[in-house]
Amino acid sequence: MKEKTDKKKKVKILTKEKVDLQQLFKVPSMGLAVAGQSVARTDARQKVMGTLKFGADYAQEKFLHGKILRSPHPHALIKSINTEKAKSMPGVMAVLTAEDVPGRNGFGAIIPDQPVICSDKVRFVGDGVALVAAETEQIAQQALERIEVEYEILPAIFDPRDAIKEDAPKIHDKGNLLSYNKLRKGDVSKGFAEADTILKRTYQVPFLDHAYLEPDMCMAIPQPDGTMLVEGPMQAPFTTRRNVNAVLGVPINKVRVRQVPMGGGFGGKEDSPIDLGARAAVLAWHTGKPVRLALEREEVMLQTCKRHPMIMEIRIGAKKDGTLLAFEGVIYDEQGAYASLGPIIPPAGGSHIHAMIMMAGPYEIPNVKVDAYLCYTNNPYGGAMRGFGAPQVHIAHEQLIDELAEELGMNPIDIRRKNGLKQGSATATGQVLDQSVGLIDTLDACAKAFNWDEKYRQTGYIDKARSKRRGVGIGMGWYRTSIGINADGCGANVHVHEDGSVLLFSGITEMGQGSFTVLPQICAEELGVRLEDIRYVVPDTDIVPESGPTVGSRSTTLMGNAIILAARQVKESILAAASEMLDVPADRLVAKDRLIYDTENSVNSVTFKDAALKCMQTGRRLIGQGWWTPPKPSLDPETGQGNPYFVYTFSTHMAEVIVDVETGEVDITDFVAAFDIGRAINPRLIEGQIEGGVAMGLGYALMENVVVDQGYIQNKSLRNYLIPTSLDVPDTRSIILEVENKYGPYGAKGIGEMPNIPATPAVLNAIANACGGRVRSLPADPEGVFRAIREAGGPPDK
Amino acid sequence: MNHVELSFKLNGQDISIQILPNTLLVDLLRDRLGLTGTKTGCRQGECGVCTVLLDGDPVNSCLLPAVKVAGRSVTTIEGLATEDGRLDIIQERFISEGAVQCGFCTPGMIMNAKALLDREASPSETDIKKAISGVLCRCTGYRKIVQAVKSASEAKE
Repeated sequence: MKEKTDKKKKVKILTKEKVDLQQLFKVPSMGLAVAGQSVARTDARQKVMGTLKFGADYAQEKFLHGKILRSPHPHALIKSINTEKAKSMPGVMAVLTAEDVPGRNGFGAIIPDQPVICSDKVRFVGDGVALVAAETEQIAQQALERIEVEYEILPAIFDPRDAIKEDAPKIHDKGNLLSYNKLRKGDVSKGFAEADTILKRTYQVPFLDHAYLEPDMCMAIPQPDGTMLVEGPMQAPFTTRRNVNAVLGVPINKVRVRQVPMGGGFGGKEDSPIDLGARAAVLAWHTGKPVRLALEREEVMLQTCKRHPMIMEIRIGAKKDGTLLAFEGVIYDEQGAYASLGPIIPPAGGSHIHAMIMMAGPYEIPNVKVDAYLCYTNNPYGGAMRGFGAPQVHIAHEQLIDELAEELGMNPIDIRRKNGLKQGSATATGQVLDQSVGLIDTLDACAKAFNWDEKYRQTGYIDKARSKRRGVGIGMGWYRTSIGINADGCGANVHVHEDGSVLLFSGITEMGQGSFTVLPQICAEELGVRLEDIRYVVPDTDIVPESGPTVGSRSTTLMGNAIILAARQVKESILAAASEMLDVPADRLVAKDRLIYDTENSVNSVTFKDAALKCMQTGRRLIGQGWWTPPKPSLDPETGQGNPYFVYTFSTHMAEVIVDVETGEVDITDFVAAFDIGRAINPRLIEGQIEGGVAMGLGYALMENVVVDQGYIQNKSLRNYLIPTSLDVPDTRSIILEVENKYGPYGAKGIGEMPNIPATPAVLNAIANACGGRVRSLPADPEGVFRAIREAGGPPDK
Repeated sequence: MNHVELSFKLNGQDISIQILPNTLLVDLLRDRLGLTGTKTGCRQGECGVCTVLLDGDPVNSCLLPAVKVAGRSVTTIEGLATEDGRLDIIQERFISEGAVQCGFCTPGMIMNAKALLDREASPSETDIKKAISGVLCRCTGYRKIVQAVKSASEAKE
């Protein structure tokens, strides 16, 4: 990996590509020893050997098996339930209905509006009507079939626009409009009046599934002291705990939640462990025995949250020279049956408000108006999925900007450079970005590596038969670090032992993204020890401090800061002890690579281990606790103006595609993705996030679509819910830029969610550039592309 | 249903075990023999994370009745490293190239790569992509996996 830097611009580029970016970027290294290095994952050895135990790998003998009886109707009243036949089956230990829930019969990440067991009505196909625990999975399954439920079918709603009509049947007592939010910046009517060109478009995106390879599961194990232990793959142990305790009707400290290794999450395992945890715990509470609730793939598709579908209507106005003047957007955001992570947590938490905030894109536009409706329907429900409302709106604004550029006869790169956010720009919420704004740097770096100028000129037919056309497209994007709520604090404990070994306690979970490597890197860097000296304690709510959920691309930045603060408390002791041992003032000492030495005479040193032992012997503190909360978020509920998130990651993607205009098939032939991530703590892991995120974004563009017909999912298996395979993805070239974030550990900001966001519109824009057909309703599968070409009047002549 | 006796070679060792004739190979491996390195993601032969080698060829163990392996040789992810913990070169390169993220598809990927490299010493990137195309990965975008297999093949030469 080459490093090239630019002192003046404080931008560093890490790239493996043969691109000369020397003129652009040059910066001195920070002298980091462990952070900043592409060290191997701490869990990689166990994973390649197959010895790491995922939830489903735990021995099952001691568990009862839980099963959920699900509603076969999208909307119906429950008239009666008869469980007698199921209860009398040998091997059945519990058959539970709503009245058996010991505490609150509702759970949810934000609002507890989803019944643990439905009592009077069901709101989607998959709603839980009864729970069974039995000695084997087979018996549990047979018991489900013997439960008799009588339903009275109600009229159902499957379109968010229908949901908020006055005469619409009510899905929840409070009505179907779960949240209405608005953003008002400047005066859009004035902006449109001054515009030379106005464009109006509608874009639509379907439900998407996370399709993590590990199906969801959860274990609830009653403890001898009355505590309920809940274990499973999960991103948010603390959110799970505060639901399980309420559902059981016990204090928080009577529930213990522990993460087991997670086979992918992507936001979906923030939500589903609440559902499975609460239900498994209720079964365990009734039977007094450990209960295992493991879903088959089809059940995962049916039951767990999806990415929200949206219908997005936009109008944009610009001057002849491409200067953006006004943006007006309406979002019909489909929540589905339950609130999950959709609704607002003031001031700026929840996926819906996030979509509203991001809708005008990473552009400075003086006049912006957005109205965002979050509507219940009787479809499956939307939750968190990598980007949390941002991927959807990027698909809209990035295509719109391209359509506008075409209308104005501009190169799509120029209109973005002109309007893209820069240092000092005000976002749609009026937030003035005063630091770490590398958007245009990513555009420039990406264009150079991709060779945009030349490729943009070389589009058109590539074969004599005139069936294939090449095109290129850009997707630009931004994404927050943090989640925009006041309760966004993160705690970490660092324990140093007398032999120099270290325990790091944090509630940030590992789902594959690499936090169990990156966070110890930060800890090792701060203490001046090696990575192998740190053991990361697996998140367990009885043991680790409250850390919030592992979401919002917040882990490295927020937890990194907490760890630094915790490590510094211990380091103070270590340096004080070393100062005594070396007879040198503590402020002259530096700790690095297990050694503490005098900066004025580096031979005068003591090992970290000996200094730790000295601390122990002299009663000095070897335990540190750090707590970090981001700068306070703000958002006025009336105007949508404020500073919702304290820092943003920026990115530009460029795609080259070949479209077969006769079949609508798309082949992605080149892809470059550039990011400003503040500081790369582990560049190789970041590349992994980029390559994987881009693949996910391409899936959204080209193939992924949970087909829901009248509330029934039509593609419940990986046979017909398609995700990209190794033959579908390009060799993505990653570019990592570092425009320091003054609030981040060593300048870092988030990366997890950003990579999949601009990838989707980059491909959609490339398709339109190639064949003239624009797919405004996803996915751009062969049928969609073929239709778009036909709507555009057939493939271009030249 | 009556049990039947099944004898086969598992990771180089001869074993005999009484099983129900409708037992799937993946369940025999995971539930009866405790070899949980082989994962299940769909139980429909779509995701490939349950891949094991049958006489050197990759198969979806979630689709294969265990009785079908009678007298044959099965290799699982647990059979790759030596007993003293020395990793296969493919495993090593998966670590050093950063080809592992959540790790759930990793055993399936490695088994497919193993089958490929055992029959083709220096495969092209396209060969590698084809060989692993039956295993889904949602984390990595496949690029580092392809690089790891390539790197392993070069190290073997």
